[in-house]
Amino acid sequence: MRSILLLLALAAAIPVSAQSLFRKEPDYAQFNTSYDGRFTFVRVRFRPLPGFGGGGGYWRDRDLKWDHDYPTAERHLTRILDELTTLGPKTEESNILMVDDPEFFNYPVAYLCEPGFWDLNEAEAASLREYLLKGGFLIFDDFAGPHIFNFRERIRQVLPGAALVELDVSHPIFDSFFKIESLDHDHPYYGVKAKYYGIFEDNDPEKRLMMIINYNNDIGDYWEWSDAGFIPISLSNEAYKLGVNYIVYAMSH
Amino acid sequence: MSSFFESVFEFLFKYRPLVFEKGRLAFTTPWPVFVVFLALALVVLLALISYGRARSGNRRDIVIFSSLRVGALALLLFSLSRPALLVPTVVPQRNFLGILIDDSRSMGISDQDERPRSDFVYQSFGSADSVLYAALAERFMLRFYGFSGRAERIDGVSDLRFAGGRTDLAAALDRARRDLAAVPVAGLVVLTDGADNSDASLTESLLALNANSIPVYAVGLGRERYDRDIEINRVETPRTVLLGSSLVVDLTVRQRGYKGETVQVTVEEGARIIAAQDVRLPADGESAVVRVHFDAEEPGPRIYRFSIAPQPGERVTKNNSQEVLIVVEDRREKILYFEGEPRFELKFIRRAVSDDENLQVVSLQRTAENKFYRLDVDDAEELAGGFPRTREELFRYRGLILGSVEASFFTHDQLRMIEEFVGQRGGGVLFLGGRRSFAEGGYDGTPVAAVMPVVLESPEAIGGRRGRGEEPFFAELKVEPTRFGLNHPATQIGATVEESGRLWAELPRVSSVNPIYEVKPGASTLLSGRAEGSTDEHIVLAYQRYGRGKALALPIQDSWIWQMHADVPLDDMTHETLWRQLLRWLVAYVPDPVVAEAASDLANPGEPVPLTAEVQDETYLKVNNAEVVAHVSGPAGETYDLPMEWALEEDGEYQASVTGDAEGLYEIRVEAHKEGEFLGEHTTYFQATELTTEYFDSEMRSELLKRIADETGGRFYTARTVRSLPEDVSFTESGTTVIEERDLWDMPIILLLVLALIATEWGYRRYRGLV
Repeated sequence: MRSILLLLALAAAIPVSAQSLFRKEPDYAQFNTSYDGRFTFVRVRFRPLPGFGGGGGYWRDRDLKWDHDYPTAERHLTRILDELTTLGPKTEESNILMVDDPEFFNYPVAYLCEPGFWDLNEAEAASLREYLLKGGFLIFDDFAGPHIFNFRERIRQVLPGAALVELDVSHPIFDSFFKIESLDHDHPYYGVKAKYYGIFEDNDPEKRLMMIINYNNDIGDYWEWSDAGFIPISLSNEAYKLGVNYIVYAMSH
Repeated sequence: MSSFFESVFEFLFKYRPLVFEKGRLAFTTPWPVFVVFLALALVVLLALISYGRARSGNRRDIVIFSSLRVGALALLLFSLSRPALLVPTVVPQRNFLGILIDDSRSMGISDQDERPRSDFVYQSFGSADSVLYAALAERFMLRFYGFSGRAERIDGVSDLRFAGGRTDLAAALDRARRDLAAVPVAGLVVLTDGADNSDASLTESLLALNANSIPVYAVGLGRERYDRDIEINRVETPRTVLLGSSLVVDLTVRQRGYKGETVQVTVEEGARIIAAQDVRLPADGESAVVRVHFDAEEPGPRIYRFSIAPQPGERVTKNNSQEVLIVVEDRREKILYFEGEPRFELKFIRRAVSDDENLQVVSLQRTAENKFYRLDVDDAEELAGGFPRTREELFRYRGLILGSVEASFFTHDQLRMIEEFVGQRGGGVLFLGGRRSFAEGGYDGTPVAAVMPVVLESPEAIGGRRGRGEEPFFAELKVEPTRFGLNHPATQIGATVEESGRLWAELPRVSSVNPIYEVKPGASTLLSGRAEGSTDEHIVLAYQRYGRGKALALPIQDSWIWQMHADVPLDDMTHETLWRQLLRWLVAYVPDPVVAEAASDLANPGEPVPLTAEVQDETYLKVNNAEVVAHVSGPAGETYDLPMEWALEEDGEYQASVTGDAEGLYEIRVEAHKEGEFLGEHTTYFQATELTTEYFDSEMRSELLKRIADETGGRFYTARTVRSLPEDVSFTESGTTVIEERDLWDMPIILLLVLALIATEWGYRRYRGLV
């Protein structure tokens, strides 16, 4: 029985892998904007683990994972940021960058979605480690359930020994712009309760927060569909509050 | 005038030039003057007639013979009319002569014929038989004074110790003048090397002597130039630094006889050598500036000793080292960083200084209209209302960083307050670049623009660019330090100048949205930058003093690139080092409301040290009529209180004088109250120690001594020319004098000239075949 299941899984994976292997990657740089000092939303591009299809991203003929909600989520968030804050971000442009791209280091805040499918080689892990230790800040989003196993594995690659610390609402990141009263959030689709984790410099919660991890949540989806009407405004609001707080906090800590 | 010339002059004219200078020519013949002239005319006439009848009849011969004969006869007639000099001369034993003898340590230097300078004093005045003493005592009543830091009357040279730690010529001259005011004075004789090291001005003393017609006869002792000597003659250090700060100290080294040699300057703190720097010695008589770097690692008052090991054949070795007292403050300097928008600069600046226990950067970030994000505040009230609205609130910070925030955010009062924060309170302000900074932030024409060390682009130029639809200015700049910046404590990011230059060259480009190309007159550029392919030089870091404080402009928007850039190694500390140094320098020397200062941080035991205190309230307005007390603690633990008096001519300034009788460190804590309210306190220090000041600039200063002599109508002598002093002093117009007549008719020059004229006439006759 077990062998049959494995074979089925393999058979399901072959077409997706084949697609990834034989299709030419677009030049993502054409979707990017050049550095001018203004805040620019950066989405981390990565090689997804093979075999876990599902689509749903901007390049719908591919199974990229990292592109989920692109570009609407960032456009919406940056407009909100522009509207509410003095940040003055780029609202019509954003960047897609690999963690080992030197350009990535010009943007000390970045967003990575679907880390459950995140694959990482050693060079990329080393580059991301350097990015984080130099002062970079990463927002992880859009993963739930068993995806956390892959996420933990990748984090171990990047920062061996790094501990995930569950954050409660008293953490300053939840009060950097909006005073978030509760973290009692639900995943938009799976009905599971969201959890928020952090990874701190030297594993010391007194030190700098380097990553915020939205586990069992998908705030990018809330951002993306906030103008579509099928998600309650209150839920979208909470997602925006988190997004704004993350950016404001990351730009001062 | 050289002694040779004087000797020749005296041989020909019978008297020394000084006698002619002082005297007045007169003819003492019993005949009336018209008879002399008549006789002269008659002689000339007879000579002309006599030669007119001569056989040769040659007109030229007649003129030559007549002239020679007339000349000779005129000289004889001049002698016969009994010319004389009328010279005012003192009446013996009716006048006082002040003998002022330098009693300072520099008189112990052995450069007076390889013997101590003081030996000349003993030789000249050691006993009544001494030549100079006897010659002067014959004519004058002598009154002796010994002087160093102050002057005292002494009975004789046996009272001298040559141990004074300072030399104050002005005080000595003043003392002697006042002391002799009621008696006839022929003049003052000063025996000194002239190595005055007081701050007093001589001009007033010399004017007073001139007004009283008291000539000064200065005898310079010692060599004017040492043949071989090295001297650290200046050390420039701050009086206070923050614990852990990197100190950059400039020393001036002067030398003779060691040109081109390399010596080592060492810095010692206690028994520890904390820094060393090699220096190649410059040409003889020239100075080399040596820059030494070290860290202030221990808190409290520290004595640092800068020295060069004695070199073979050095004349004076005590001038090879200098000590300075630096107070290393272990306190947290509070800086307010106001940022008009969320920016990475704030994050990375906070991070760069977060481990610095002596800096507290309190951040206020405007995240939305009238919404502020406060970080690192001390309590819930601090900055709760946003940017400070009162002077008390703002002036409690010692530094201010203004980020990307437009001028229109502030009220006019707040803009004025920022200007006063620097100009009046003495705080340090740093203007960061950004889209809402400088001209782009509308600062042109505001009170804050006056504080900025850079010239802002005019609003018309900005408006013109916008009008033409041009993109906002943006340039990525390669930054390099200027010559000034390479050595500056804020921007020297490496251990040495060379390393610093290399580190700057390696740093990646940063960007600017504020086109600034010019600093204001009086401002200095520390860093400049160029965009790729452009020749325009952008100002990246400029500095100027403004009022009591300092203002810096850093018109770039992302210095954090120096931390984050992919090419910057993870362990590179350049960004942290730069920001720590920059902010420490920003708040260095920022005054407290009460500031006490001892006039010198090192003083000889027993020497009074003037103490001043500036008293202000929390808004930094000067406070008069306050109760100000200095609590003095001595090295043996003794304590006493010293009330300080308000100096009426200066608002808020209080004065006292404190003396350290025993060697050691004195702590002076000054406390100020007004009507029972505590205004503030401040602690200063000084060290009582036997100073070596006397061995610096200790070559005989003939120019200074000549000036003293010239401006008072006296003369300057050296040990070799001093033998004429007694006679010279006699020809004074001061004191009780008589007019002495000195014959000139028998001057050898007259006889020699007559003989020369007759011999010439005879020779010419032979030449013309007339004999």
